[in-house]
Amino acid sequence: MLLKKVKIRLSILLALSVLSVLAIFLLFKVLEDNVLYFYSPSEIKNSDEINLKKKIRIGGIVKKGSIQSSERDIKFIVTDTKNEIIVSYSGTVPALFAEGKGVVAEGNLKDKKFFVAKRILAKHDENYMPPEVEESLNINAK
Amino acid sequence: MRKINYIIISILFSFLFIILYSSLDNERIYNTKDLIGKKISQVEINLFQSNETINTEEFINNEFTILNFWASWCAPCRKEHPNLVRLSKIKNIKLVGVNIKDNVESAKSFLKENGNPFDILAEDKNGKNSVNFGVYGIPETILIDSELKILKKYIGPLNIKDVNEIRKLVKK
Amino acid sequence: MLSNLGNIFIIVALLISFLLVFFSFKEFKTNNNLIPVKIYKISLLQLFFTASSFIILLLAYVLSDFSLANVYENSHTNKPLFYKISGTWGNHEGSLLLWINILVLFSSLFLFINKNNDKDFKILTLLFQNILVIIFLIFLLSNSNPFSKLFPIPLEGLGLNPILQDPALAIHPPLLYVGFVGSSIYFSAALAALISKIDSQSLAISIKPWVLVSWFFQTVGILVGSIWAYYELGWGGYWFWDPVENSSLMPWFVMTALLHSILVLERRIGLYSWVIVLSILTFTMSVTGTFLVRSGILNSVHTFASDPSRGLFILSFLIIMVFFSIYIFFKFAPNESKKYTIFSKETFIIANNWFMIFFLGVVLIGTLYPVFLDTITGSKISVGPPYYNLVLAPFLIPLLFLMTSGPNYKWISHETKSFFDLVLVLSVILFLITFLLIKESSFLLNLILFFSIYLIIQTLFDFYESFKKKNINISRIISHLGFGLLIFFIYINHIFSQENNFNLKLGEIKKTDQYIIKFENLEEKSIKNYKSIVGYFNISDKKTSITKELKPEIRVYDKPITITYEASIESNLFSDTYLTMSNISETDVFNIKFQVKPFMNFIWFSVLLLSLGGLLNFLSRNKNEKN
Repeated sequence: MLLKKVKIRLSILLALSVLSVLAIFLLFKVLEDNVLYFYSPSEIKNSDEINLKKKIRIGGIVKKGSIQSSERDIKFIVTDTKNEIIVSYSGTVPALFAEGKGVVAEGNLKDKKFFVAKRILAKHDENYMPPEVEESLNINAK
Repeated sequence: MRKINYIIISILFSFLFIILYSSLDNERIYNTKDLIGKKISQVEINLFQSNETINTEEFINNEFTILNFWASWCAPCRKEHPNLVRLSKIKNIKLVGVNIKDNVESAKSFLKENGNPFDILAEDKNGKNSVNFGVYGIPETILIDSELKILKKYIGPLNIKDVNEIRKLVKK
Repeated sequence: MLSNLGNIFIIVALLISFLLVFFSFKEFKTNNNLIPVKIYKISLLQLFFTASSFIILLLAYVLSDFSLANVYENSHTNKPLFYKISGTWGNHEGSLLLWINILVLFSSLFLFINKNNDKDFKILTLLFQNILVIIFLIFLLSNSNPFSKLFPIPLEGLGLNPILQDPALAIHPPLLYVGFVGSSIYFSAALAALISKIDSQSLAISIKPWVLVSWFFQTVGILVGSIWAYYELGWGGYWFWDPVENSSLMPWFVMTALLHSILVLERRIGLYSWVIVLSILTFTMSVTGTFLVRSGILNSVHTFASDPSRGLFILSFLIIMVFFSIYIFFKFAPNESKKYTIFSKETFIIANNWFMIFFLGVVLIGTLYPVFLDTITGSKISVGPPYYNLVLAPFLIPLLFLMTSGPNYKWISHETKSFFDLVLVLSVILFLITFLLIKESSFLLNLILFFSIYLIIQTLFDFYESFKKKNINISRIISHLGFGLLIFFIYINHIFSQENNFNLKLGEIKKTDQYIIKFENLEEKSIKNYKSIVGYFNISDKKTSITKELKPEIRVYDKPITITYEASIESNLFSDTYLTMSNISETDVFNIKFQVKPFMNFIWFSVLLLSLGGLLNFLSRNKNEKN
């Protein structure tokens, strides 16, 4: 009798753990498919494995004098002081977007020198810059 | 059973906290170690309220130079100002203040109110030049020697400890 | 002057809190059946001093006393009075003081209002709550003192970031704080319940009002926060699955689960340990959220001034709190036997709990994953909204179904009646009508649509039924109706939203599929503390030929110098027209974002309805007590 009870309990436990492992596995699969990786212009230049179809984020500083507006889009250059990349975007930009300031753009890479952004992110704080950008700048300052 | 649960849950939380703790360290933006010993980049900066410029190469004539980036609108700058005044009393250091994206009048009244510790006052109207120094936010302070090598970089306001450290560094 | 006074009050409050902990501890060991008057008096005194210190800070803001570094950094003399006041909690130090005030307020309220409780339970709750108060007071004094002095005294302050000068943003931190910090009291109560071994019913009765209050404020706080994001951020979205938003949503899931579990605990003995776990988890999630937001380890569109030492303090507190709770739980938790039949209300409530915990897990993983990956592999990532939508959406279907059928089951066990289900038929008809109007092809989305309609109809039907029977559980009906409507309108909004991004020069015309947008005029204005460039746009609908005038602005504030883009939103009952413009290259080309967002007002209304249910439950409970 007792043995039977233990057996039932054990099998329930086993089923539950198999299920939860499966659930977590699926969850991470979805997660992995939907994360946006962050790259600096130098990382893009040095890497061979960036998927052009996958949405990514790039970040750096908007190069001075590089913003150009036309009827179709805005173009500007993002730099990390070592390498540069041209970004094209249409739509409004956040209030803190400016030349010489940190910026994060979300979108797709066309090739290693050209990026089409779907969204531009900037931060609220005057003294603030996205940590990701700062870190990649630090690396390139070496 | 209860004991096992107890142990499992404790381990799970420990793992979580270890990660969170190390991320706290990891993400500390203010890592300036890499810069020490590097030569400062050659930049031309405008002098405050004048058409003249000064090149960073000229600092070669000074035994030690401190570059301080500040603005009157920056609260921490006000906090660190007394410490800059302290530093200005050290003989073998030339203090260069770079005023960033500031209103000229309020910058002037800031120095009038709090004292002017700077030997050379420069300005960077739109903050573009400061990018060349790798300045991210203000205040920031860079200490360089006569070979234009960076001895130390401080991010955020200087405190008394930093002042004493600088004193020691320039004594050698 | 104010600075010294504030400091003195804080220190006195700290001493009183120590006294309170000391007396509660001594009292716990005695065998008296009554809590001595002394403790009530000390608690009142503590409330007086903490409240006064907050009022002093408020006064310093109103009077623009720049000898306080905190006021200098966040205020300005020509700021409107409303924003001077809201500036008090618009920064880390001030908000911490507000946090402490709520801790203390709840501590005294719990002591004074819950008159019929077990003495040991009450005294222990007081003890734990005041340990929390002490920890946060020390944090305030050592690291984040809002009363620090500045010398020489500046003549003028630095001003508040204009983006933060918005009525919705000004009021939403206090709302969220009552929710976040309010959960502390049932955290303390849960630990106290374990040690004093009070029975499940008195536990349920004593924590229920606090859960309801904090849940209500949390819901409204989240609502106001998303309204702000919608109007001010200029993206036209109201929820971005941003880490900061997530950290306000995570405690909400646990609170919702707790709210439902308490219903079981009130009537039956089951779920005692589970309620305690949830109570502890709610506050843990609140503190975790605070940690994530304040330590700056996450990237977010909502930036807070971050400082690693603050993060370290909150993390240490979190660690101690969690391990202490785990220890207490495993030492004192009783063994429970579980008996219920499958088709009872309990099962549904437990199912609700599993869903909430699942949602919590999904959001928690999504929020923490970037932190983990960065620490372990060093790669920088962010988790996008598709992850949340993809994982959460399928689970809405069973949740909606359970919400529809669950409440009509009886407690413990239920005999199924078979009858011609009018509700189901009505829902199917309504669904088919909507389907023909929308013609959405996704199977999943159609299922969600159907089940949300089913829930709405069923709750309306219940509403009618309960009136007939004079047995009104109106709060449940209103909340569930609110949730059904929320899902329904989010769905409609999602399907019919339009967005166009383009660049225009003055005088030019842009034609989209449905609208003609004309850039008619540009005007410069100078207003008290900012300059404004106003664009005049004429929008006409090709089908209905209704025209609208929209006037987005670019504002340049002078204190501190900041540019903001003010969206122009023409809002009517069924649809919002939303237009933002910016100009970055300083040429004559303007960047325009034009959006049409249907049923936005209905989305806000649904959430309001949802929260109203909680409030009604709280009020009706108090009425019952009086009778």
